[in-house]
Amino acid sequence: MPPSTRIECDVLVVGGGMAGATAALAARDGGARVVLVRKAPGSTGLSGGAVSVAQDPGCMPDTPFAARAGVVESARRIAATRPGHPYRLLRDRLDRLWNAVEFATGQMSEVLAPPSGRNRWLLTPFGHAHAAAACHRSMAAGDLAEVRGTLVVCGFEGHLGWDPGLIASGAVRVRALGGPTPRAVLLDLFRWEEGALGRPFDLARLLEAPGAAEEAGRVLRRALQRGDAAAVLPAVLGIDPATRVPERIAAEAGIPVAEILSDLPSVPGLRFHRAIEARLAAAGVEVLQGEVRSGAGPDLPAAVGGREVLARSWVLASGRFVGGGIERRGELRESVLGLPVLASEGPFADPSVRFAARPPASLTLRDSRAPQPLLAAGLRVDDELHPLDAEGRVLHPRIFAAGAVVGGHDPSSDGTGMGVAMFTGWLAGRSAAGRGA
Amino acid sequence: MAGADRDHAYDVVVLGGGVNGAGLARDCAMRGLSVLLLEKQDLACGASGASSGMIHGGIRYMTSDRRVTESASRDAGYIRRIAPHLTFRIPFLLPFATHEEGSRLLDRVAWYATEVYVGTYDLFQPLKGGKPSVRLSADELYRIEPSLRPGLHGAVTLDEWGIDGQRLCLLNALSAAHHGADVRTWTEAESLVREGGRVVAVRFRDAVTGEHGEARAGVVVNATGGWSPRFGRSNGFQVPMRPGKGVHLSLDRRHGNYGIICTAVDGRQMFLMPHEMESIIGTTDDDFFGDPDDLDATADEVEYLVDGAASLVPSIRQARITRAWWGVRTTLFEYGVEEDDLSRDHRILDHAAEGSAGLLSFVGGKLASYRAQSEELADRVVAMLGKGVLPCRTHEVPLPGGDEVPSPAELAARHGIPEPVAARLVFRHGSRAREVLRVADDDPRMKLVLCRDEGILAAEVAWIARHEKVRRLQDLRRRCRLALGGCGGLDCARPAAQIVARELGWDADRLRAELADLLEVGWRERRPVLDGWQLAEEELLRAVHRGLGGL
Repeated sequence: MPPSTRIECDVLVVGGGMAGATAALAARDGGARVVLVRKAPGSTGLSGGAVSVAQDPGCMPDTPFAARAGVVESARRIAATRPGHPYRLLRDRLDRLWNAVEFATGQMSEVLAPPSGRNRWLLTPFGHAHAAAACHRSMAAGDLAEVRGTLVVCGFEGHLGWDPGLIASGAVRVRALGGPTPRAVLLDLFRWEEGALGRPFDLARLLEAPGAAEEAGRVLRRALQRGDAAAVLPAVLGIDPATRVPERIAAEAGIPVAEILSDLPSVPGLRFHRAIEARLAAAGVEVLQGEVRSGAGPDLPAAVGGREVLARSWVLASGRFVGGGIERRGELRESVLGLPVLASEGPFADPSVRFAARPPASLTLRDSRAPQPLLAAGLRVDDELHPLDAEGRVLHPRIFAAGAVVGGHDPSSDGTGMGVAMFTGWLAGRSAAGRGA
Repeated sequence: MAGADRDHAYDVVVLGGGVNGAGLARDCAMRGLSVLLLEKQDLACGASGASSGMIHGGIRYMTSDRRVTESASRDAGYIRRIAPHLTFRIPFLLPFATHEEGSRLLDRVAWYATEVYVGTYDLFQPLKGGKPSVRLSADELYRIEPSLRPGLHGAVTLDEWGIDGQRLCLLNALSAAHHGADVRTWTEAESLVREGGRVVAVRFRDAVTGEHGEARAGVVVNATGGWSPRFGRSNGFQVPMRPGKGVHLSLDRRHGNYGIICTAVDGRQMFLMPHEMESIIGTTDDDFFGDPDDLDATADEVEYLVDGAASLVPSIRQARITRAWWGVRTTLFEYGVEEDDLSRDHRILDHAAEGSAGLLSFVGGKLASYRAQSEELADRVVAMLGKGVLPCRTHEVPLPGGDEVPSPAELAARHGIPEPVAARLVFRHGSRAREVLRVADDDPRMKLVLCRDEGILAAEVAWIARHEKVRRLQDLRRRCRLALGGCGGLDCARPAAQIVARELGWDADRLRAELADLLEVGWRERRPVLDGWQLAEEELLRAVHRGLGGL
C-alpha cells in the first residue's frame, strides 16, 4: 500500500450518527486530529426531530408539565432505578450530562434549538405527546408546555398521510397538564397536484420552492380564528433549514408555526444527517466513507475504503442493529472488532448465562410493551466507557464506546437515546483525545 | 348488524368462520336457507388462515387416502373456476438427492419409484388444470434453480396451485352475506340452548360491542376447528380429534420461482416455496394439547424448518425471515399413529345420541376440498331440516370478483396507478378491482400507495373497510396483508388505520387501540425469528410505534 494512502491521527471514530459526531467534535474541540469512518446513515438519520435525553420516571401521569423534574434530575432518577443503564454507570459524572447536551446541541445549532433544561412536549403523528430535552428549531414553537391558548393542528386536504384529528388527540390527552386546547384543521394544500401522492420528501421539496411556503402561509391564515396562538404542521417544512420554510409560512400567517415530530420516512432525520455532515467538515474532521475492514484496534492500521488509518485511540459509535454496530447472525456480536455482547441488567447479566447465543424468543417477552433484553443488547462498558469482556476486564485502555452500541438502554421505551449518544459521545471523545471529563 | 338479528330464528346457525364454516354458510344461503354465521374472531383466524396457501391435490395422501387426493384435485379445479383471480401456479421440484457421492442402486430405485408415483399423480392433474410432471436432468435442474446445493441427480416436477386462503374464506362469507346470510365476526358463541334433548338456539356475545344475543336455529353446525374439543366440553358434547400444530416461516422476498420439496432432519417431507410476494417454509406437524388461543412458535420449530430448507438450499440461512405463523390442524382422532400418517379425510359428527339432536360437528378435511366438504355438510343440514331447497351451485357460481380477471396493465394505464399495484389489486379482488379503483377516481388522494411492500392502495383500504366486513384493524391483515410484509407496518400501519377510522367512524382513542392491537399481533409472529436485518427492522418498528407513537 503506498504511503500516501495512510492517515495517522489521534482518534478514529467509527460511526457518523449523533454519538460518533459528538465524539469527533469533542475530540476535535480538544485539538486532536480526528478521522471519522461511517458507512451509511443510521438511526440518527432516521430520527424524528426530538433530542430525547430523559423523561421523569418518578412523576405520575397527571403531574403537570411545570411540576416535572428537570432533564438532569430525571436522568438521575433513571440512574437510581435502572442498574444496567449507561446513566447508572456514569452516575458519578451525571453533573456533566448537561455540559454534553449543551456542547452537542451547540455544535448542531443550525438545526437544533437551544435546550432549556426542562423537557419540551411535542406532538407526534400518532396522537402522542413526546417529551424531549431539545428539538429541531422548526419544532420549538409547538411545545405544548409553552403554547397558551389554542393550538391549530394542521393536516393537508390533498394528502392522506396525516390525520389532524389523531394528531390533536395527543394534545387533548395532556391538556389538563398545562397544555393548550388543540383545534384540528385541514389546510387546502397539495390538492390535485402531482405532489398530492408524494412521500414526505417530495412535499418538503415542493414547500422549499419560491412562493410555495408563502402560499401555504396564506392558506393557513385563512383557516385561523381568534385566540389561535400557534400552528403545527406535519414535519415536511423543508429539508434544508436555509430555505426557511417554517419562518416563511409564519410570516404570511401571522402566527408562530412549527413542525410536529416525524415517523418514517423522516424529513427531519435527513435534515439532521446533512447538518451533521456539514458540521464535521467545518470542524476539520476527516470523514471516510466505508466500512472498517481488518481493523484490530488502536496502534494497528485499519483498512477503510482503500485507505489505511492508524489511530492512537478508537471510539466505537457504530450504533445498534439499525446502525449495524451490533448484529445477530445466529449469535449476537459486535461487528467491527468482534467484541462480546453482554446483557447489562436482569437475569441474563449473570456471566454463566450465554446471553449472545440464546434464541431470540428467550430474550424477549410476549408483551411488546415490556422491557426487551434483546433490543437493549450491546457492549458492556466500565465508567470510563471502555468495553468489557465477560469477566468484567477492560479489553483495551484506548478503545471507548459511545451511543447505542453500548447496551443497557432501550431508547424506544426509556426515551434516553439521544441523551446517551450525546453524553457518552462527549465523554468518549474527550477521553480519546486525552482530556479527562 | 347490531341487534337486528337478536332473538331471530334461522334455519341453520354455523359456528366458526374458517373455510368450512364460511363455505357451508355460502352453500346453505345459496340453496335458500336462512343462515347465521358466528365467528369469535375474524374470518380465517384459525387453521384456514394458517394453511400453506395451496389448493394442492394432496399427493402425500395418494396411497393412504386416494379418495382424499381425488376429491381434493377435483375441488381444486372448481375453486380455480369460481375464483380464478385468487390462484396462481406453483411449479414444485422434487430433487433427487443422495447423502453420499454418487448414486447407489437403491437411490436410483427410489427415484424411479418417485417418478412413477408423481406420474400416477399426473392422472389427477386434469381435474385441477395442472400440468403433467417432467423429469429434469441435473443440468436442467441447476439451470432453472441455481440456488440448490451441489450434487443433486436431477428432479421431477410437480404442478400445484397457490391461493390466498384468507381471502378464499372471506369471499365465501361475503357471498353468503350476498345471498342473505347474517355474518357476524368478533361474535363468540357462548352456549347452546337445549329443549328436550334438542339444541334449539345459540347464545352469543359480541366482543366489540359487548352485547349479548340469542339466535334460534333449526340446525346448529359446529365448525370451530381446533376450538371444537373445548367448545364441546363446555357444552356437553364430545368432539374426538388429534389437533396438530403447524408452523410456517415467511421470507422477505421470493427466494426463487419454484417450490422445492425438502426432507427434514426426521425424514418428513417439507417445502420452500414462492408465494405471492414472499417465500414460505413449511411445515411442522406436532400433536398439540394446549390452548388454541395461546400459541407461539418455538425456537425448535423455527430451527427445524430452516434446517430442512437449508439441506437443499443452503443460502436460506442468510435469508431474512420476517415472521413465523401457526395454526392447529383438526385431524381425525386415531391412537398409536404418527402425526404425518393421520388421515386428512373429514367426518361429520351427529351429536343426537349425546342429547344434542340438531347439532352437527365437522372434523378434519383439507382447504382444497372445502367446497365439497361444505356441500356434503349442507346436504346433511337440508336432510335434517326436511325443507325443499335449490340445488347446490357452489361449484359453478363465481365467488365475488371471480367472474373475470381484468388486465393489470390496462387498469394501471386507465386509472394512473403503478402496474405492480394494479396486479396485486387484481389478484386480491378480481373483477371488483374496478370498483376499488372507482373510489380512487372519485377521490384522487386515494391513489396514494400506502404500502410499497404489499402494493396496498389507500383506495383499497377504504373499499375493504366499506365492503369486506371489517370490524377491527387487524382484519386488514387477512384482507390485504396490511403489516404482514417485510415492512411490518413501519410506514403504512398508521395511514391505513387513519383511513379505516374515517370509514368506520372510530375516534382517536379507538384508532390508537386498534393500531396497538395490530402491532402486538405482529410482534408475536416476529419474536421467534429476530435475527439479521429483521432485528434492525424491529428496532425501527419499536422506535416509531412505541417511542414516537406511545402505543
